[in-house]
Amino acid sequence: MEKILTKKEFPTWIKNLESYHVFGPVKKETIWEYEKIKDPEKLDLNFPNTALSPKKIFFPQREVILDFNKNNKGEPEINESLPEKKPVVIFGVRSCDAKALTLTDHVFKEDPDDKYYLRRRNQTTIVGLTCNEPPSKNCFCTSLDGSPHSKEGMDILMTELEDKYYIEAITDKGKELIEKAKDVSKNPSEKDKDELKKVHKASEKKIKRQIKGLSKITDKLKNMFDSSLWDEESMSCLKCGICTYLCPTCHCFDISDEVTSSSPLKGQRVRTWDTCQFPYFTMHSSGHNPRPDKASRLRQRILHKFYYFVDNYGDYQCTGCGRCISKCPVDIDIIEVLEKVKDYE
Amino acid sequence: MSENIYIPKLAKIIEIKEEVTGSRPIKTFRTQFIDKNDFSHRPGQCAMLSVLGKGESMISISSSPLEKDYLQFSILKMGKVTTALHEMQEGDIIGIRGPYGNSFPIEKWKGKNIIFIGGGIGLAPIWSVLQTVREKKDDYGKLTVIYGSRTSKDLVFKKELKELRNEMEVFLSVDCEEEGWDEFVGFVPQNVTDKKPSPENSVSITCGPPIMIKFVIEALQDLGFKDEQIYTTVENKMKCGIGKCGRCNIGKHYVCKDGPVYSWAKLKTLPQEY
Amino acid sequence: MVDIEKLRKEAKKILKEGKVKYIIGYTKSSQNFSASPVFITKPEDTSRLIWNPTCVQNLVKFIVDDKQKQCKEKEPDERPIGIMVKGCDSRAINVLIQEKFIDREDVYLLGVSCEELGVLDEKKIAKKLKGGKIEKVDFDKKKNIIISTKDGEVKIPIKEVLAERCLECRANFPVIYDTLYGEKVEREVKEPFKSLNQIESQSFKKRWNFWAEQLDRCIRCYACRSICPMCYCDECVADSINYAVTPETTAEEKAQKIQWIERSPDLSENIGYHLIRAIHLAGRCIDCGECERACPVDIPLRLLNKKLEKAAHELFDYDVGFDHEKPSLISSFKDEDPEDFIR
Repeated sequence: MEKILTKKEFPTWIKNLESYHVFGPVKKETIWEYEKIKDPEKLDLNFPNTALSPKKIFFPQREVILDFNKNNKGEPEINESLPEKKPVVIFGVRSCDAKALTLTDHVFKEDPDDKYYLRRRNQTTIVGLTCNEPPSKNCFCTSLDGSPHSKEGMDILMTELEDKYYIEAITDKGKELIEKAKDVSKNPSEKDKDELKKVHKASEKKIKRQIKGLSKITDKLKNMFDSSLWDEESMSCLKCGICTYLCPTCHCFDISDEVTSSSPLKGQRVRTWDTCQFPYFTMHSSGHNPRPDKASRLRQRILHKFYYFVDNYGDYQCTGCGRCISKCPVDIDIIEVLEKVKDYE
Repeated sequence: MSENIYIPKLAKIIEIKEEVTGSRPIKTFRTQFIDKNDFSHRPGQCAMLSVLGKGESMISISSSPLEKDYLQFSILKMGKVTTALHEMQEGDIIGIRGPYGNSFPIEKWKGKNIIFIGGGIGLAPIWSVLQTVREKKDDYGKLTVIYGSRTSKDLVFKKELKELRNEMEVFLSVDCEEEGWDEFVGFVPQNVTDKKPSPENSVSITCGPPIMIKFVIEALQDLGFKDEQIYTTVENKMKCGIGKCGRCNIGKHYVCKDGPVYSWAKLKTLPQEY
Repeated sequence: MVDIEKLRKEAKKILKEGKVKYIIGYTKSSQNFSASPVFITKPEDTSRLIWNPTCVQNLVKFIVDDKQKQCKEKEPDERPIGIMVKGCDSRAINVLIQEKFIDREDVYLLGVSCEELGVLDEKKIAKKLKGGKIEKVDFDKKKNIIISTKDGEVKIPIKEVLAERCLECRANFPVIYDTLYGEKVEREVKEPFKSLNQIESQSFKKRWNFWAEQLDRCIRCYACRSICPMCYCDECVADSINYAVTPETTAEEKAQKIQWIERSPDLSENIGYHLIRAIHLAGRCIDCGECERACPVDIPLRLLNKKLEKAAHELFDYDVGFDHEKPSLISSFKDEDPEDFIR
């Protein structure tokens, strides 16, 4: 199902979605974040990529797993705390972020599945947006079987054509959502279809950065555990964790108990984001740390994304969004590291 | 509708036994689920024990799956959660979720001799498989136990080991000379070399401090054991127990899911970061 | 003008003579706008060192990192490290020496003066380009920056796009150095804490709402702490995820460790973390601005630390990092100290 919706009528479509929580990119000071849209007129799809990917809507920074307390007999009680049941729509999801969701799906949907992630995922409709221009000069989605107009992981793909949007439904969920715009949308003309093809083709050519030969890199990585490359490349790493916190595919987390009242005991067990780049991520209670230095942690990040994940799930754990390159305070560039791996003797 | 894997089931502590006292105390806990459920495990698997308000800790189940009345855990006091467990009394309630991990492939070991080699608290994970195999003694060959600790006070399951002597050879050791100790004096790997278990139709399981495991494997290799005949368990810091939080990986394996039981033939192919 | 060739020659000399184990400096970034930190171990690589207003990073953090690494080594390599320092960075070195974290002999300082200028603020430039993307950056002799985008070239006077902190900087040339490159240009700063004026003039309620909104975005990635050279504590009080344990730490000690701030990025925990960190930096923060630059969600962290720097200046006549012989603010007192700081 394909429709054309003018930019003027776009807010009308949003207004018809009262039964959903609508999320979209919102400007906060100098950055963009996905937030609930209160005013449909304010939803602006003219934005570079967000600071944090929409992964945080499915796998939030803080998720309450269960509430616990001790009753008046002193016996502990546990209540699971699942996310609210309400359909959600997210507008303006870039192809790299949508594809990343299919990668985190591998981890969280794998048996035994994660109910929290699954509930949020199943009740959400993802409305993607073609990147007519690459949002960042560090984008490299085309090197990872992706493209600025890839439909992977989406329910709908919107493409901007001058003063209107070309809307393509990909799944049944997507069709259902487009139905809500049927009064204000119309069928695309042949001209529109041609224009769409042109925009899509042009968008691919605008991606400047490439890594070629990824399968060769994966093969090389299999034998590079003890290489000195990791020491050289991690010298300027500050173990700040930004690369992994902003990554749309990273899924490491911590589970901790937070006590709000100690007598009678009351509290919550929460899940929060964590990162393999923190020095104490792997530290045992005994004080032994299998990854005590920066080199071993950088090695873990690269090997996990381009070798372990490939062996376990058949996909690279990277979609080329470029956030880690743009935001690293000391310019550690994952593309450069991979190129060095490719050329390593 | 599948279960929520993060929610522990409540269990009551029905018995606490002090195995070792002192600065590194070990207690053995026997627990019973409050609500009947179909929890069943295989020897070598672990469970996440919850102390609500403190956290969780992954402990290997040291009772045999044939024991239906309780689950047994032997716990060394090491940090926040284990200290809280040590402070508990009989009748207190904890949370248990699991079982997690793979198990010892005892079906493949039928007809073979099995040598159990443990050090310190390392006897606990082995205990589960030892008790299971012992029940079906006729299916297996000769069973031998080689176990040692720093001092005689640090040995676990002292009473049970004494009883075991009626059925199989049990060789104990302590690290240094001790008054009243008339068995082997030295480290566990040295005891292994001294007792010379035969690799013929045999399989060995070893568990204990990492340094002990390393030298036991060398001692066994010197005696002619092949890498496929040597089994061990690995530990790593764990949080979710189901291969999602990304913390316990060794290479592409998650210790909570693809381990903790590994043959040395398999373990030596993984990156040595544990 | 900073004679970069002279700096490269000196760097090559000290490396060749074995005076330092390596040199930390700036080099051209392959992709990003600002210069990249570089570690030079071979004398011939010193030609990679550059100096221009894109050299934003505070490299002193790497000195701290190295010190912490050497403490854990069985055979530590305690040779000095050569490092390029700007005025602000040199103040960080002074604080570290003052707190006895490093000795003066541990560093060989290649001081560079910002003269009348400073470092550039990427966000200000982005505003001027109105969304155009930077492809190349050049500097002309008339103190302009020339930016090439795909729409053409834009020439902007550097003064218009300097970082906020450079506008009120009182250390535009290094206050401690082994060799100095560039002139010691005296700059008059009429109002040293001007950036605080706007927020200080607001009511308590408005200020609280401002910070509640800003800190709500915090994802507790701890990048601000990781990049700060003054945050060198092995065990951070505001962080429940790291413990400085050794095999000798007893189980009781681990069990009794108090978690002051929970891991969750709730507003209350975020405010606790940021305020505790700011107070621990009172009299120690030298306003290098790295925390704000690193923050992935653009929280204006400088304002918090600047406020405490102002308090130190006004209440105790104390200026951070200008003289490492002076006792540090928190570990000393004078009879003239105003009593009204204890309420």
